[in-house]
Amino acid sequence: MSAASVIELSEVTKVHRSGDLTVAALGGIGFAVREGEFVAIMGASGSGKTTLLGILGLLDRPTSGSYRLVGTEVAKLDETARAHIRGRRIGFVFQAYNLIPRATAFKNVELPLVYSGVRASDRRARVLEALAEVGLSERVRHVPTQLSGGEQQRVAIARALVVRPSVVLADEPTGNLDSTSEGDVLAILERLNGQGATIVMVTHSNEVAEHASRIVRLADGLVVADEALERPPLALEVAR
Amino acid sequence: MRMLVENWRIALWALRANWFRAVLTAVGVVIGVASLVAVTAVSAGAQQEVADSIRRLGANVVLVDGEFINIGTGQSATERTITPEDVDAISKLPMVTAIAPHQEMESLTISAGRFKATTLLFGITETYGDIYNQAAGAGRLISSSDVSFGRSVMVLGLVQRRKLFPGQNPIGRTVRVGTREFEVVGIQARKGTLNDENLDFRSFVPLPIVTRALLGGGANIKSVGVRIRSEAEIEPAMDAISELLRRQHRLPDSYADDFSTEDQADFVKAAQSATTTFRVLTFALGGIALLVGGIGIMNMMLVSVRERTREIGIRKSVGADPWKVQAQFLIEALVLSTLGGIAGLLVGIGATGLTGTLAGWQVAISLPSLLVSFSAAVSVGLFFGYYPARRAARLDPIAALRYE
Repeated sequence: MSAASVIELSEVTKVHRSGDLTVAALGGIGFAVREGEFVAIMGASGSGKTTLLGILGLLDRPTSGSYRLVGTEVAKLDETARAHIRGRRIGFVFQAYNLIPRATAFKNVELPLVYSGVRASDRRARVLEALAEVGLSERVRHVPTQLSGGEQQRVAIARALVVRPSVVLADEPTGNLDSTSEGDVLAILERLNGQGATIVMVTHSNEVAEHASRIVRLADGLVVADEALERPPLALEVAR
Repeated sequence: MRMLVENWRIALWALRANWFRAVLTAVGVVIGVASLVAVTAVSAGAQQEVADSIRRLGANVVLVDGEFINIGTGQSATERTITPEDVDAISKLPMVTAIAPHQEMESLTISAGRFKATTLLFGITETYGDIYNQAAGAGRLISSSDVSFGRSVMVLGLVQRRKLFPGQNPIGRTVRVGTREFEVVGIQARKGTLNDENLDFRSFVPLPIVTRALLGGGANIKSVGVRIRSEAEIEPAMDAISELLRRQHRLPDSYADDFSTEDQADFVKAAQSATTTFRVLTFALGGIALLVGGIGIMNMMLVSVRERTREIGIRKSVGADPWKVQAQFLIEALVLSTLGGIAGLLVGIGATGLTGTLAGWQVAISLPSLLVSFSAAVSVGLFFGYYPARRAARLDPIAALRYE
């Protein structure tokens, strides 16, 4: 409990405007995520969990409130500054994988390194290492259409990891997967978390959420529950 | 700097992924650049032809001709009203740098053995070759001693040379005009045609031969070629010559000139201004073709931005800032127009060569015109690529990621 906060939100609101209609998606949210945590954000659709993830990932700006990422206030930054922070501090895993079609697994994983200005000569080893970490060393030259859904999601996880981000944000990462692939992906996330990665995962499935170390429940744009989970130690599973 | 290289890589990769559409789009630019290149080459060729014509005519040459005039109720006995004294007086005018009196005889039949040919026979002096840019293709031209001794020598035109001495060396052979015999001393080098007259149809003998022996009578002549110091002095020189000749001929004020003066390059200059209009029009057409090509690029880039909205969202989510996204699409447009421009140069050069060969036009491809056409293509790419690139850069990352 003494680890530093990676994410600190306080009084964050988000109002969506479309024409005259204004919809309050977040109504003043405050919570913190410490280094090494695996947080599941749960809630019914319309509860604001996707909006929250967009703000956490700096894809979107809160209407009001404060957001400190690794100690730095980022709520008011412009798109260019946010893009640079996204590239270095945040790794995304989306439900729909969101790989660039026609680009190989290698190219997809390399992309964040390209945008954050890592030398081409330094990139190769890091990309291969990230792909090895998700068990895809044999799929480096494959394009997304040649990969199964589970494999595509693992490429996406490798892409999220490759910059060694402060936090991995996963939006329903197993939503499009069959149960075998779901197990694979969750096992990888758990293992990464075990190695120290901070993960925030949005899900509507209790089963999936149970893999996290803490569950934050949203309803109508507010945090309604925040509970730590007693996660079965990894050693137990190995012994079984 | 490194990012610039990366942007090029990303853009080239994106184009390769959709190469067929890229090629089709670039075709517009190819046509635009190719037509610019061809049009400038053809019109530059036309201009060069005009310059060549002026060179054949002799630069800054005024032709003074003797004319028939009405005197009272009758007519002057001859058009050969230019006297040796007139020639002498004209040559002393300050703006005159050289003078070439000559007398022509039309449709004269000349023969060698059993071969016959007609010619336009020119009696000339040694200055003629200089003023009218005459050169010997073989042998020599009419010399000053030919003129002063009244030698019976002839310089043949290419047409007569072919008709009278097919497959033989004519130098030193004899040509007959009526009962007179001439020694062939030279062949005039090819002059080509000018204003529908075949200049290679002319043959040349010393002036006294024509005036005294062939036409009989005095030393008066019909024509004098006068070279003026500069183009700007042509008009004043023509006025000065008129004034001088009227005084020489003692013409009363009521009499018309018994001579005429004419700037030989007048019609060439008229042709030149006509081709200038043509040049401007066709260049505008090439420019419009390039413009259409540019709109094609913009269209493709807009479609491309829309199709790749999700990809743009992905790139933004992994750290691409607006500037980098804009650079990527701008470079794509630039690569399209650059490759289109290069292909256009090649096609244009090929089409120009083909036009020159098939239509028999004179064409001239110049490096500056190639550079201008190419940079026009690149500018078109930049200009028409800017708006789509800007649009891509401004996409909202969340909306882009959700785009289906």
